[in-house]
This record gives sequence, structure tokens and C-alpha cells, in this order.
Amino acid sequence: MSIEDKIIEKISSFPTLPTMASKLMGLLNDAEISASEIGRVIQYDPALTANLLKAANSVYLGQSRTVDSLSEAFFRLGTKWVYQMSVSSLIYSNLNRPVSGYELSGEALWRHSVAVAQMSDILCEQLKIRDAGIIFTAGLLHDIGKMILGEFVSESFDDIQAIVINEKIPFEEAEKRVIGVDHAEVGGMTAERWNFPPAIVETIRWHHQPEKAAVQSETIDIVHVADATCLIQGFGIGSDGIQYKLNNDSVDRLNITSKILEQAASELVTVLEDIDMMTSDIPAAEAVGRL
Amino acid sequence: MSLKVLGISDLQVSKTPGDVLITYSLGSCIGLTVYDPVAKVGGMVHYMLPLSKIAPEKAKAKPGMFADTGVPLLLTKVLELGGAKDRLIVKAAGGSQLMDQNKVFNIGERNYLVLRKLLWKNNILIKAEDVGGNYSRTLRLEIDTGYTTIKTREGESEL
Repeated sequence: MSIEDKIIEKISSFPTLPTMASKLMGLLNDAEISASEIGRVIQYDPALTANLLKAANSVYLGQSRTVDSLSEAFFRLGTKWVYQMSVSSLIYSNLNRPVSGYELSGEALWRHSVAVAQMSDILCEQLKIRDAGIIFTAGLLHDIGKMILGEFVSESFDDIQAIVINEKIPFEEAEKRVIGVDHAEVGGMTAERWNFPPAIVETIRWHHQPEKAAVQSETIDIVHVADATCLIQGFGIGSDGIQYKLNNDSVDRLNITSKILEQAASELVTVLEDIDMMTSDIPAAEAVGRL
Repeated sequence: MSLKVLGISDLQVSKTPGDVLITYSLGSCIGLTVYDPVAKVGGMVHYMLPLSKIAPEKAKAKPGMFADTGVPLLLTKVLELGGAKDRLIVKAAGGSQLMDQNKVFNIGERNYLVLRKLLWKNNILIKAEDVGGNYSRTLRLEIDTGYTTIKTREGESEL
């Protein structure tokens, strides 16, 4: 069997997304997601419900009255946060495991993914971009291909790395040269198999090379810049390190200045700390890696 | 040995023999170590951005996030623990960049320039440094000895 066939076989045997996560992401097509709609979907997941209640009751929020219903938890945590936390934990509850090749612990890939999703969200807010829900999800899933390609990268890591060093090309280009595909391509194929909306598939596919997308989009630009920022700032780095290119056209199209970028980066630290704090006393969160 | 891990924007000092300060994944961020070999006190900061004026309220909550708040605070804290300014050994690592990056993204370079300026104003020289490039680094300082190492994909060596 050729490497390509092996990879294709691996994609088709890769676990499908939990039904609950697909349903939740289906809600993204609505312009405004309401708390009650989210509640209707997640009330059937006892672990997630328990997590949300614990987060709502966490010391961080510093309130004395106990929250014991989902609707109250939504009120206290905010619909957006509940949505983000639900999608994040549902997606990763069965995908959180170490990724060989890139030498990422389950937690490191998780942290990087959450950081990129949150950074995307912060940039959307600063740049007043709508579709933040889609962009958040695309950010969360952008590196999903690494989970499949990891074992192949592991076999050829030295060859890939040698090309990166000798020819000064980004890691994903060397990956494609040696293996035949890169992790973004594999991620795109996986998202397609999961029947994700084309905007998400395309963003995963081109998150390192926005210039190659058939249609340029803010979603791809945002996730590209968010990923570049999280890599350079060191949020969840693997053996591929920061050997990636920044597409300057994406930065220009979004009109990102140093000030916007730095403010977003400083905001990201705070947001990730808040997530840590809100979830740190949640034993169930251990199962999905610390948020 | 007691390993004290510093995350992004953290700052720590110690005079406890056996303490080892370590920080991982320094990209464009800079890890700075300050050590007094006589008093055997030292500290580390893992700052992320050059200047705090872009988010003063964040600098108040987390001074280690910025060079202009984190570096002076680190020096002050090491002196408070018994360090003497003329004995301080200062080492820096990080400040790397992506391939092909533009001015907006040159945070690593600006992080380094602000550090040079701050130390110069304080009459302090950098004893050793490993900055730039496009890879990430791990920085480690042993409080007993001041032994400082840098680890990259190439391996670990003394800084």
C-alpha cells in the first residue's frame, strides 16, 4: 500500500465527531445562537452539564449562591462562553491524546488549539468581524490533521527537518515533499469527511498558505494570523516548532497593526488564565486535558 | 531539586538551594535570568511583549508580561533577596521569529531591543545570550550554582 493510500485509510477510520458536537456546530448557521438552543443539545450530556455547573460555581466568579440548573449556568457564564466551552470539550473529549511525530502531548495540542480559537475570537472582536462562531471552530480544529499525519511524520522526521534547514522552507512544505501530503491537507480531508461547512474545511486546508485558497476569506486570514501568533508566542509548540511562514497579505487584508496584535496577545494570556482558573477545580476536565 | 516552572508572563525569584527555575517554549518572548553568585539568589522572567503602554491594566495585574515592567521588577526582587547590583549575572534567550515575517510581527526583535535599552540605562551588561532564529528554546537556571542552560532542537548547552 502506498503512503497516500495508508493516509486515506487512516482518515476514513479516524473517529467521527461526536454527534453532540456536530449538532452544536450545526447551530452555527443561525445568526444568533440562543442559550436555550444550546441547552437543548447539551442537556443530554451529563459530563458536560456537570462541567458547566462546576464552572458556573467556581470560586473565580466569586458568588455565594449555588447554580444548579443549566439555564442559570448559561446566565452566569454567558452564552458565548458556554458555546465555546461545550464545543471545545466535546470535540476533544475523544481526540485528546499524544501526537507522535510532532511530539505533542495531548495537552499541548489541546492548549494550542484552544489558544488559536481564542486568539481568533479576540481578533474578530477587535476587527469587528462577524462569523466569529465559525472562525472559532475553524481555529479549534485547524491542526486536526496532525493527529492523523503524526505517525508518518514520526517515520520521516529527520528527512523533513533536513529539508526545512537546508532549503529554508516551512515545515508543511517539507512535509508534503517527503510524505506527499501535509497536515493541513489531511485536516481538510478529515473535516470534509465530517461534513463540515466549506468555510471550515477551506480554513483548515489553507491555514498555513492562505494565498493558495480558491477564494480568499477573512476566516482563513484570521485563523492564519491567530495560528502564527500562538506559535511565535509559544502556546503549545511541537517538534515542528515555529518553522512556518507568515503571509503578509493576510496581515494587510485584515489591517492588523502592531498595537492590535500586541493587545490581542496580552488579552489572550488573560483569557487562557481565566479558562484555567474556571476549570481547574473540575475533575471531569482532566479527562479532556486542562482547558 | 525543586523545579519551578514559569509560564508566559511569569516572574519568579528564589534563594532556596535546590530550586531550579525553568521556562519552556520561548519563541518571540524573552526569558531573562538574573543571578548573584555570592548571595546565591536569582530569578527569571518570561516576558511576552516590549512595552506596557499598549495595555497598562494588564501590566498592573501581570508585570512579567512586558519588558518595561518585568525586567525592572525582576532586578528589584533579586536585590531585595540580597543580591548586589555589581555582582549580577544577566543572561537572555528567545526573541525568535517566524519565516518571512513583516514589521507587524517583529515582536521578538523589539523585545530584545527594549531589553538592551533597559539594561544599558541600568548599567548592566548581558553576560550571555542566545537570541533570534526561528526555533523555540527552553531556559533553565539552578539557584545553587547559577548554572544556566538553553535547550533547543539541537540539544542542551550551557548559556
